[in-house]
Parts: sequence; C-alpha cells; structure tokens
Amino acid sequence: MSLIKLSGITKHYAMGSQVVRALDGIDITVAKNDYLAFIGSSGSGKSTMLNILGCLDKPTTGEYYLNGKNVEGLNQNELSEIRNLEIGFIFQSFNLLPRATALGNVMQPLVYRNIGLKKRKEMALNSLKRVGLGDRTDHLPNQLSGGQRQRVAIARALVTHPSILLADEPTGNLDSKTTIEIMQLFDELHAEGHTLILVTHEDEIAHHCHRIIEMKDGRVYNDSTSHSAKVSH
Amino acid sequence: MLFSILESFRSAMLSIYAHGLRSFLTTLGIVIGVASVIAVVSVTQGMSSFIGDTFASLGSNSLTIRSFTPFEDQMKGIRARLTPDDLQLIENRAEGIASITPVLNATRSSQIKYGSQTAFSQIMGTTYAYQDVSQSYTQVGRFLADSDNNTRRRVAVIGEKVRENLNLPENPVNEFVELGGEWFKIVGMLEQKGEMMGFSQDDLVLTPYATMQSLQGNQNKTDIAIQLSLSENAVVEDVVQQLTTLLRNAHDLSGEEDDDFVIQTAEQLMETFDTVINMVTIVIGGIVSISLLVGGIGIMNIMLVSVTERTREIGICKAIGAKRHHILLQFLIEALLLSLLGGLIGLVLGYGLGTLISNSIPGFPNASIPLWSVALALGFSGFVGVLFGILPAAKAANLDPIDALRYE
Repeated sequence: MSLIKLSGITKHYAMGSQVVRALDGIDITVAKNDYLAFIGSSGSGKSTMLNILGCLDKPTTGEYYLNGKNVEGLNQNELSEIRNLEIGFIFQSFNLLPRATALGNVMQPLVYRNIGLKKRKEMALNSLKRVGLGDRTDHLPNQLSGGQRQRVAIARALVTHPSILLADEPTGNLDSKTTIEIMQLFDELHAEGHTLILVTHEDEIAHHCHRIIEMKDGRVYNDSTSHSAKVSH
Repeated sequence: MLFSILESFRSAMLSIYAHGLRSFLTTLGIVIGVASVIAVVSVTQGMSSFIGDTFASLGSNSLTIRSFTPFEDQMKGIRARLTPDDLQLIENRAEGIASITPVLNATRSSQIKYGSQTAFSQIMGTTYAYQDVSQSYTQVGRFLADSDNNTRRRVAVIGEKVRENLNLPENPVNEFVELGGEWFKIVGMLEQKGEMMGFSQDDLVLTPYATMQSLQGNQNKTDIAIQLSLSENAVVEDVVQQLTTLLRNAHDLSGEEDDDFVIQTAEQLMETFDTVINMVTIVIGGIVSISLLVGGIGIMNIMLVSVTERTREIGICKAIGAKRHHILLQFLIEALLLSLLGGLIGLVLGYGLGTLISNSIPGFPNASIPLWSVALALGFSGFVGVLFGILPAAKAANLDPIDALRYE
C-alpha cells in the first residue's frame, strides 16, 4: 500500500477578484521509503504542494490519504496531531526556537506527545547523536553554524519517528560543502528506511533523489524515476 | 492537561527569565498595586486590632450617657443637659448597674500649674466609682474617696502624662497643683494606659465631683456625663432600653421628639472606630485596585507585543505538533506567572512599607497583615493575569501555522 495517495488535489486562492490556481489537479502516490524531489520554478506550486503534504494547509478539493488515513475534514487540532505523529519538517531557514538549546529544540515535539522530561532527553540525545551533534546539545541556535542548525532541525524531525520527512529547500541557506554533508545525511536516512520528500530548485540536490517530480503551473509536468531507483509502486 | 500545564510553567519561567528587565517592568504595575493595597491594609488592620485591645481594657461592659443637642437646636440656643437629678434618678430606679459615677468636665479652664510649669489637660470631676467604671486604678497613692466628695476636698488624681508635662517628681503624691486658681493636693497617680490613635490616655486630672461642681458655680447650667458599668448578668440592650425610658420620662419628651441624650457603649464606640477604619480600607483599597487594573493592562500590552514578536516561534511549534491549547496555555500561564510574581514582590514590599509607616509615626500601632489580604492580593493579581492574558493567548493560539511560519 502506498504511504501517500493524492487524488484530484486542487488549491485555489482568491487574490482580489482573481482566483489563483496554485494546484490544479494533482494525482500522486508515494511509496514507503521513497526518495522524492519536487522541482520547478517559483510559482509552480511546489511550496503549496509541500504545505498540503505536511498537513499545514488544506486542499480546496481532492482527497489526501496519509498512511491510509483520510486527512480531509480534520480540524486544526487533529492536523496538529497528524503533523506531530506522521511528519518531520525540515525548513530552508531551519526554524529553530531561538531561546531553546539544541537539546531543547529536539525535545520540543515530544512535549506535545506528553512524554516526560527524562524520556524526552534520552530520545533527543539519541537523535542528536544520529545527526552527529552529540557534543553540542547545550548550544543555542545562534551559537551553531548553518550546517549544525540544519542538523538540529533534522534531529528534531527524526526524534518523533515520523512516516515522512518533508524538507523545503533544506540546503538553500547553506554553502556547497555543508550542502554535500547534509545531502549525504539524507542519503543515509533514506538507506535506513525513511521516506523523504524534498522541495528544491537545484538540480544537483534533486539528483540525489530517486524520483523527481517537476511541477509547472500547479500541475505535474514530469514524473521520472532515475536508474538507481528502488521504488516499488 | 496537567502535563501541558506543567510544561507551560517550565517554558513560561524560561521566557520570563530570558526577558528579565522587560518582565520586571511589565509586572511593576502589579507590584505597585499590590504593595499599596498591602501597605494600606496592614496599617489600618494594625490600628484596628490595637483599638480593639484598647477598648477591651476600657471595660467593654461600661456605658456612657451624655446630653445631646441636635445642630438645629444649637442654632436656636437650646442646649440639652443631663443634670445631677438624672443621675439620682438612674441610681434609684435603674436595674443591672454595678457602679455609676457622674463626670463633670471643667468648663472654665483646663489649665494646670505646678511651680513655674503650666500645662493643659482634661480636668474632670468624678467619684470613687469612676475607678470601676473605667478600669483606671492608681499606681501610687490612692483614688478619690467618698469622703473627698462629701467634704468637697481639694484633692486630685493625675495621669502619668500630666506628671511628665508638669515636671512633677517621680512620686507626685502630696504635691500641690493649681487648677482654675485653686490649690489641689495630689493624692494619687493612675496606671499608665498608653496612647490611642495618637492621643494620650494618661493626660487627665480627676477631682471629686462635688468639688468640681462647687467650682463651676451656676448649678442650673450643669451638664454632666454619666458613666456606669453593668452588673454581671445584665444585658446591655435591656439596660439601654430602661435608661432611655427613664430619661425620656424625666425630660418630658413626647412620642415624636428625639432623645436629647445619647447612650454610648464601649462596644459601640469600638464599632464606630471599626466602621471608620473599614471604610477607609475599602475606599483606599478601591482606589489602589485601579492601579492593579492598570498593571493588568500593562501585562496585556506586553503579552500582545510578545505574541507578535514570537509569531514565527508559534508557527514552528504548530508545525511540529502544538495544538491550540498548548499555545494558549503557554501564553496564559506566562501572564499568570508574571502577575503572580508581581503580587508576591508587592506583598513583601507592601509589608515593608506598612511597617515603615507605622514605625515612623510615634505611638502608631504595629502593622499586621491579615491572611485574607494576602489571599486577596495574590488572588486578585492572579485574576488580573488570567483576565488580561486571555486575549493575547487566544490571539497566539488562533494563528494560522502557514502565516505564522512566513512571518518575518
């Protein structure tokens, strides 16, 4: 069974008197352990796509099944719960809580699962060790480099053991050396069995992925699976 | 839910600590408000409990009867009087009275001289029974005796304060003082009673009633007060009723006419004081609680700024799974904690202030904080925190995660 199933997804915004069709009929399935990149120019609808996949936004029409569960009709609190349980977000601008340490940031999603402090610390430490930051747990985000911050963000996404990892331009704010490190980390996570979905406009990044979906004007323009893909539909 | 509350407390404390100066300034309004409330309450309550003690020592089962002339009648030149006949009547007819004494205030002059020293004091003519009625006993010498009264002897019993003012020797007995041009021998000095509301209760001179009466001259205009103490089983209300009937008959008052005298009990007097003090407490407390309101608005203001400032953080928290109540609680508890903290600081400050005030005014009773005022101050500041925290917290909780994440 596919992990994600989108059918007939549209998203329309009213901009004054005009209706903007950010998504215009999307049908996609994503299998478990897929390694997928959405590419496209700005305005192609890839960010909207990510918001809907991440349950931050609701589609205007269409059906979205995540892990066999219909996401439609859920209220904000139920969506929060889905995000907490199923989805790990990785943002371009890292989006760490500025006043919390690396450890605190990684522990934060577990707070919403009512996990006690001791257990939280243990889980967060494991997660930080996984991304190679076991020795920087007490640093505030502004005491960390860009690459380290993104690692903290990845650790935060991993700590909840989500069904999918969603990364929005994860290397957009990083230099080329750090970019390579982060992409290596993504490759490893994929190898460990995680399902990764990236949004990027850099071909180099996209070519790490085994499946590339090119978007244009709110539609899927091209959906290609690269040679090394181990995708099972 | 409890878990969320505890977690919110943790993050609220971190946040308050992170913005130390701002948190302090935010809560300053509450601090000042609570400090003023507590200072006012502690001073007035100290006063009230002191007055209570004082009246208890006065003898709570004593009554005082005075003549009373309404203001309108005073304008017409009418003066109500209590006469020695009234005293006689009560002595003969009233029941439930243990001891009774007339009190005649000196009307001519309250000047008292000793050697080259001159002082002014409250000079009263009274009898042996005054001792029981007002619970004043002599420290040295003797009290006025019946024989003093019968023979109109020129003797006096003085209070400690008078001795001090006139530079009389430590034991003033057998010294002579001049009252209204006549020489009086001091036969005793009363035990010290201290001050009440800044007035010394030891500043008085007692002379025999008959002596004072003869010095006053014109008997027709004599207006006395009558003090009496009740016997053990007597009910205050019954005695008052009885006395009222007796005096109304004696003064030929018809049904519609008001009493031309007042009967005061020590308890009544205490109640009057208490009422006044409570009124003062309520009025000042009311004024001061406006500052708590202002403090609350200050907290709301800063919380609203804080929500805007942390919009992005709220977005992040929502993206990683925070529900409405998580965000709501976080901000609400931060506001609550801020104002409770202010309340606590204010409590300490207010008590210090109250102590300072009561210590800096001589003769002022010690400040005391009743438990209810602590509960009230903390409760009210907590209430203010919740009341003014709701709006910012709701604003934060209702933010759309996408908009919040995009916020720069």
